[in-house]
Parts: sequence; structure tokens; C-alpha cells
Amino acid sequence: MTKTNTEDYLRMYTQMVRIRTFEDNANQLYLSAKMPGLTHMYSGEEAVAVGICEALTDDDRITSTHRGHGHCVAKGAEFKEMFCELLGKAEGYCRGKGGSMHIADQSHGNLGANAIVGGSMGIATGSALRAKLQGSDDVTVCFFGDGATAQGLWYEVMNMAALWNLPVIYACENNGYSEYTKTEEIAAGSITARAEAFGIESHQVDGQDVLAVNALTNKLVARARKGEGPFFLELMTYRYHGHHVGDINREYYRSKDEEKDWKENRDPIVRFRGYLVEQGIATEDEIEAINTAVEKDATDAVAYAEAAAYPDVSEVDMHVFSDIEHALA
Amino acid sequence: MREITLSQAVNEAIAEEMRRDPTVFLMGEDVAEAGTPFKVLSGLVEEFGTDRVLDTPISEPGFVGLAVGAAMTGARPIVDLMFGDFIYLVMDQLCNQAAKQHYMSGGKLTVPMVLRTNIGATRRSAAQHSQSLQALVAHIPGVKVAMPSSAYEAKGLMKTAIRDNNPVVIFEDKLMYQDKAPVPEEEYLIPFGEAHIKREGSDITFIATSSMVQVAEKAAALLDAEGISAEVIDPRTIVPLDEATLLASVKKTSRAIVIDEGHQSYGVTAEIASRLNEKAFYHLDAPVLRMGAMDVPVPFSPALEDITVPTPEGVAANARKLCAGEMIHAA
Amino acid sequence: MPHDVTMPQLGMAQDAGKIVAWLKAPGDAVAKGDALFEVETDKATMEVEAQAAGYLTGVVASEGDDVPVGQVIARISDSAEDETPAPAPTPEPAADALPEGRQITMPQLGMAQDSGQMVGWLVELGAQVGPDDLLFEVETDKATMEVPAGASGYLAATLAQAGEDVAVGAPVAILSADAPTNTVARSAREAAAPAAPTEAKAPEAPEPPKQTTTPAKSPGPQTGGRILASPKARRLALEQGLDLDRLVKAGHPQPFHVADLEVLRGLPSDTTPSAKAAEAGRRLTAHIPAHGLAEFASWATAHADSTDAVLAALAGQGHVAVVGVERFGACQSYALPDNRRLSQVAATDDAPELILRDLRGSFVQSVALGAEEVPVLTLMPDGDGLSLVLECAGHHLSAQAAIALLNDVAGRVAQPLRHLL
Repeated sequence: MTKTNTEDYLRMYTQMVRIRTFEDNANQLYLSAKMPGLTHMYSGEEAVAVGICEALTDDDRITSTHRGHGHCVAKGAEFKEMFCELLGKAEGYCRGKGGSMHIADQSHGNLGANAIVGGSMGIATGSALRAKLQGSDDVTVCFFGDGATAQGLWYEVMNMAALWNLPVIYACENNGYSEYTKTEEIAAGSITARAEAFGIESHQVDGQDVLAVNALTNKLVARARKGEGPFFLELMTYRYHGHHVGDINREYYRSKDEEKDWKENRDPIVRFRGYLVEQGIATEDEIEAINTAVEKDATDAVAYAEAAAYPDVSEVDMHVFSDIEHALA
Repeated sequence: MREITLSQAVNEAIAEEMRRDPTVFLMGEDVAEAGTPFKVLSGLVEEFGTDRVLDTPISEPGFVGLAVGAAMTGARPIVDLMFGDFIYLVMDQLCNQAAKQHYMSGGKLTVPMVLRTNIGATRRSAAQHSQSLQALVAHIPGVKVAMPSSAYEAKGLMKTAIRDNNPVVIFEDKLMYQDKAPVPEEEYLIPFGEAHIKREGSDITFIATSSMVQVAEKAAALLDAEGISAEVIDPRTIVPLDEATLLASVKKTSRAIVIDEGHQSYGVTAEIASRLNEKAFYHLDAPVLRMGAMDVPVPFSPALEDITVPTPEGVAANARKLCAGEMIHAA
Repeated sequence: MPHDVTMPQLGMAQDAGKIVAWLKAPGDAVAKGDALFEVETDKATMEVEAQAAGYLTGVVASEGDDVPVGQVIARISDSAEDETPAPAPTPEPAADALPEGRQITMPQLGMAQDSGQMVGWLVELGAQVGPDDLLFEVETDKATMEVPAGASGYLAATLAQAGEDVAVGAPVAILSADAPTNTVARSAREAAAPAAPTEAKAPEAPEPPKQTTTPAKSPGPQTGGRILASPKARRLALEQGLDLDRLVKAGHPQPFHVADLEVLRGLPSDTTPSAKAAEAGRRLTAHIPAHGLAEFASWATAHADSTDAVLAALAGQGHVAVVGVERFGACQSYALPDNRRLSQVAATDDAPELILRDLRGSFVQSVALGAEEVPVLTLMPDGDGLSLVLECAGHHLSAQAAIALLNDVAGRVAQPLRHLL
């Protein structure tokens, strides 16, 4: 095991734990009625966001979804600004104007979560078009769920991406459920076959295996930079929570046994932790130290965000237009 | 001064801006070799090549979405939407995505894109190729809306739009593409939010957009002979709207008719009339009238289509009544 | 560090949850993810998992309890011996536990009164009351009075104790529709925190009187309908002191526009309206749809020499010192005390500064008598309610003062208890 790999592996582990910890805290904020609105938990899908984003640089862009906290963390965002955004505070990434479903952090290349299912497919493809037109070698990853494969927009933009060999990777997080409905009830045929119909190279990968996701993405990103894109990935994964935090009684669409099986036998963090210890990359103590540090980071960030100030009401008509300070003045 | 067509003015504006700024590019259906069905963009692909003049598939939501993403990441796309009626197809990309990115990101993301499309009935194109849908877009905070009334405005507004850091929708009247007007050779821009007083008058104000400016000017000429002096104002952009110029005129004349080719109900005319009512009420000597397109889908038959849009005679007739103190629409 | 266990927010629009069962006992060791308790809402029943590992301690909610979302109901401590009860939730104090029902608030008794002192409760907690039953006694710097319940129900909660000052409009009691299962007695300090029962209606203050004050153009006969004129014509007429009424009388066709003002200026100028208008005096009318005078009468006679003394106080308090009450041609003056006590309003021989002409017993429904020596308020029947006309000369009262006076008096006549004391 080389030193570089050790650092990469520990960072991947840390990032997955950061996502899980972020979501646990966000869930607590919702349950205790401290967070306005609602939110969609990424817990269970950590290996997807981390495996992919660890293959990207800050110059590479991603577009995210309503279930977007994981992408945001994996792309390098800070807890403090994220919790501030979730609580609608002025120091949030979007000054409290976006919230959970619109969190964006373009300093790390995150073009933002999107509350319209499939709504960012055009944006991601457009970002890749810009890269090609301007001769830059950055790659854009478009995250979306299995539910979004039912949106017509995807087929329009895949067509153009394939026609023009755009450096975009469509990453479908197939967690088996399209909101409250089994994916097999809403998706005919094979999802990878749809991308293949446009001549797009497609892969299905175990989304609970961070190393597998990362290894594949590394290869595809390198090829996309050389103009060999686009690519399609179907990442088989699972969401531990309901569609959103208020989706509590869900036995009418999936069984508790099924949830238990994924959590106990296929958890991406548990699996990777076991691998790190078994390979001698980290000791149990070192792992626990990571967990504790992340936990403290989250606790501190939540406390900071709870105490942080709301935006001044005068901000309500700011940022409607970039060149008009107050749109209603 | 030389005279060129509105179509040439748009073409010139885009060419000049593409020469000036390498991040500007053009995309849409049949924009390259075909130069659009109206031939507005002819010649551009020869100068700028297919890398910067992109023919897209017939996928309006798709290519408008691409433009949004390109604009968010450092390019300045101009998207050609062949007919204004196709706005309905791209509503999510335009109104949920482009219009809101800057606000939702707390000012961090910008979407400097131009969507150019058209309006205008009486071209015998029937209900799905004749609509004037500017009110739909103007209703959405975060999008600017320009409506050139001649070749001069078409060029100056287009150049400003391309340099603007916000999504801008430009509605050109497709019946005016061959209309000529004096356009200077030297460079000029027309700032947004500055109305233009086309004609001064003292008895009544006509506030008109796009091709309705011509309608208003013709009505004013008819009234001149009768001793009624009409002022004609072109807001040029309806978002932002130069309220101050409109209010000053109406306070002077104390009467106004607002004319726009969109459907009359819930439209641009209603919005402007409402603002005049709110802010100039005690200066009004007559109700502010709206004159828009009839609230029917645009019919095909010329016999029917021609009566759905405001005409100079109709505007003049209403103006006479207002100036005579007649009650309109009242028992 | 102990970890609070709170009632979770489960649905999108849910305020509280019922604890169906505790699945761990106090002192039990729990691991993160263990099911702690079962909650029921109107939508669903679910098991709530522990968010931290430790020992369940400080349980303050029992099975069957309805607990507001976000409230701390237990804690997970590092040791099973941690006996500290779960802290009361800071953001929303236990106000949520108040019974549901109609809120009774501290009434505003005087004209410039911020609070009232709770003298005592006249009904036992939990007792049934009718709308007229006296609920509590209040003292202000001006007066002491007993406040009726105003509605039927059960006194389910008292939110102020004897001796406490309570802000006007603040809740002092809750009347429940049904006999309460448990009653709450609190001090105003405890209740001062924002929350209120979820069903709480706006403060139970009586509706303000619906009044209209209509400055009349002239005392002469009025046109039946509204004059139709453009906004600009009206504004210019007002600015230039032109009376559009004269155009109506001249038979000029409506609506009037700016051009018609020229016609008005050209009318024979036997009168120049603007100056005359002030000379002709002021006439303002208020309509009072329902009034509290009748029910007030019995209470008032106990506190004042006569009903006329009360009328005098209603008409003049805060504006003049001597009010004449005129009925069937006879006028008696009353001197109003500085302290506003009704019992000290006394008959006097001094000349009145204001006359209240009571025509309630007559058939007269409209007056335009012109200005007299002092301002005259005429009280007349008007359907089920009353109408009140103020007439005075321009030099008696400015337009603003005339409006203020009529408005005050109309308000008091409509709500004597509220405004007079």
C-alpha cells in the first residue's frame, strides 16, 4: 500500500463519515423542529458521492439534486456554511435564500442542488458544452436519481452530449425508489440501455463500494478530459430514510426487513472501515478518532448555525438581478 | 443616416458582440447555414464557424437548459427560439432554472444568457405560431424582457442584452424583420429601463410596445388632424420598466392608453395601467385603457385574425372618447 | 454529555405527538439506533430511535401524554444514575399544555391604559359560566370593575393571580367549551411567554364600533347620489376651492372632467364657495349600528347621579369641562371632573361648552340646523342604531378637531364600558 493511497483512502472514509454525520444532525434539527421546511437524507448513498467526487478537482463541476447534502459535502463544502444554509441563516452558502434543496457551493464547483427532478440535466450538459467550446479540460458530473430517468429532458441532452462528445458524466443514483414508488414500477426496460441507445458508454456499478465507484470514475473522468465523453453510470445504492424526513410510515412501499438488510450487510461506511482495518491502512483507534473529530466538527457547526443571525429583511429583494442591488427599490 | 432592416440590425448586433467577446456563442434550431427561417442570422456561421454558431436538434427544453449551464460556468450564450410560442416548452429551464439561480445562490451564480424569440399575429400562422407571450416571462422575477420597436432599438437592445449578466428575453415582432429604420454605423447601446418618447403630445399618452409603437404613432397622426395631441412612449424594456417616464407623461396629459400585442387579460397592458392607477390616480382625468390582443386563440382566417389585434383606427377611436370625457365600458 | 430526547416532528404539518409506549425503562442502557419509544400522530405510528448511546434518564413524559414537537421528554446520559430531570424546553415554555378554548384577555377600560391589576377571581377554576357571569375584578388607576365572561363555557385556566398587573390584551383566562379534565392556574409571569393554545382566537376584545364620519359639503339639501367626476377634476376642485355640487345644481352633465371646471368657474359668482364653506359651519355625521347604551344604563345609574350625567360624560370627556344635555327644549349643564369618575359628574348652572341634543324620543331623523353658539351634538334614532350629528361654526373647531370629537363620542356611545371608564 503506497502512502498516497493511504491518504486517499482515509480521506474517502472521512468524507463518507462526514456525510453520514451531517445527515444525522440535519435529521435531528428537523425532528426537533429547529429546521424550517423539510429535507431529503442522503444516508446510505455516501459511497456514490464520495467515490465520484474524489475523482474530481475543484475545476470540475457537478450538478446536484434535492437529495444533495452528500454531493455538497463530497465536493468539499464546509459544515458551518451548510448548516447555516439549512437553518436559513445569513452565513449560509446561499445567504439563506436557497435552503436544503438549493444548496450550492461554486467555490468547489458545485453548481447547486435542484428541486425539480431532473432539472439540472440541461445545466450539467451546458457546463460541459462550455468546457468544450472554451477548450478547457474540466468535466461535469450530473447527479440524478432513478426517478429522473423518466424526464424527457434527459433524452434531449444526452442526444446533444453524444452528438458533440461533451465531457459530461451522467451519474444515476439508483436507490430503488422513485419517491414513494418502486423504480421497477416506473421504469421500463434497462436504464443503461437508454444511454446506450445514444451511443453513450454505460456502466452499472455497486454504489455501496466506494473503491469500485472511485476507480471507475477516475478512468472515465480521464477519458472525458480527452474528449471521449459522455458517459453514463448507474450506481446501485439505497437510501436509509424515506423520500424525505417526514416519510416515516413507508411499509406500504418497502419492508423494514429490506431496510435492515441494506443497513446491516451493505453499509458503505461499515464495509470500507472493515477493509481499512483488515488491510492495515488504519487501526480501530484511528478510525474512532476520525469519527469523533467529525462528530465534534458537526456539533460545533450546528451550534454555530443555531446561534447565527438570519439575513436582514432588506436582503429580500437583493440578488434578483445581478446588476440591480434592490429589485424593488 | 443609412437605413437597414430590423433583421440586419439584429444580425449586426450579434456579429459585433461575437467579435468583441469570444465567450459569446449562438445556438438554436437551424441557426447556422439556414440562418433561421426568417434569415435573421444569415452569414454568421461563415464568419464564426460551427463552433460558435451551433445547430441544435429540435429539443427546446434541452438546448435552453444547455444555455443555462453554459452561462452559469462562464459562457454567454444567445439562444434562438424559432417561435415565441415555444416558450411554453422551455418554461422550466427559463423560469425555474435561469431566472432563479442568482437569487437561490444568494448572488453567487449568474446566468448571462440571451433568449431571442418573436411575437406577432397577422402572419396567417394560426394559434400555435402567432402568440405574443411576453407577459408570461415578465411575470417571473429574475428575467429581463426587451421589446424592440424598430431596427434601431433591435440593435441597441440586443447588444445591451448580450453584455447583461442576467437572463434576458428579447421578443422581436416577426412582421417587422423587413422594416427599415435609420441605424448609425458607429457603435451604440440602449440601456435597459429607459423609455423613449417617440412623439410628444399634450392630450393623451399612448404607451406601446414593439410593433404597437407603429400602431400608436399612426393613431396619433390620425388624431393630429382633429386637434388631439397624443404622446407616444416606447418603454423598450418591460422588465425593468421605466415607470418614471411613463408617470411623468401621464401626469402631463392626464389620459393614457396602453397598447401591447399580448392577450389583454392579465397582461402587460394591465400591469402598466395598474401602476399608472396606483401612482398617478389624482392626475387622471379619464380611466386608463388597456388595448391588447383579443382573448381568443389566434385564428387562421384573415377575416378573423385581423380583428384580434389593436389597430390605429381602434386606438384613435378610444382616444377620442377619452378626450371627450365619454364613459367607456360603463352603464 | 447528556443528549436530549425530544418529541420528533414526523409529518409536514404536525404540532404534537402522543407517546404510545416507552420501549426502554429509566436507567436502561441504550445504543444509538435502539427504539426508545413509540409515537402516534394523526397520520402514523412509529418507533423513535435513540440518537446517541448511554442510559435513559430524566423521563418527564408518560405513556398517553400528548407532547408538543420539539419538547424534551427525556435524556440519554453517560450514567444510569443521572437524576436530573430533562430540562424544560427553553424556546416554548409549557404554555402548550394549556387547555383549549376561548381566550379571555385583560380588557382595556380607560382611554390611555396599558394594564390592569387583577383584584381577584369571582368564579372557581373549573366552574361553568354564562356570558353575563362576572369572571374577575380589575382595578386601574381610574376605576375598579367586574368583568363578565362574555361567553359560555368552563373556566379551564386562569393565567393571572390576584395582585398581578396584566397588560391590556394579554390573556388572563381560558374558557373551554367542555368541562375541563385538568385545569391550569398560573401567574401572569409564567404566562407572559409568547405561546398560546393552538386554537386561540384573537384577543376577545369587543369589535371596535363601526363608524363613518362624513364631512358634508354644505348644510343645504344634498344630492341623492355620489357626484361622478374624474380623480383629477376632484383634486383640482379641492385645491382651488371649487364646489362640484354647484355644477350638479346647474344641471351640467356628469361625469365631470377637468374641462368642466371651467364651466364651474364661469357660473354666476353669487357665492365663492371656499370662503363661504367655513362660514357656513361644519356638519359631520356618524352612524352607530349597534350601541351599548341600554345595557349600560343600569350599571351607570349605580355610579352616577343620572343617565344624563352619563350622557354628558360620554359627549364631553376629554374635550370640554361643561356639557349641556338638551331634551324637549330643556337644557341642563353638567360639569365633568378631571378624574373621569362618573360619580363626580355634577349638575351645574355654568354655560355649556358643548350641547348634546337628545332626539332619540322624537321622529326627527336628520338635522341641518347650522352653527349655534357652541358646538351641538345631536343624537337621533337610526334604524336599530343611532346617528350622531356634530354641527359647529368653523371657528369653534378645526376640521380635524371636529372629526376627532365626533369620532371619540361615537366610539364611546357604541362601547360605553370600554371607552368611558
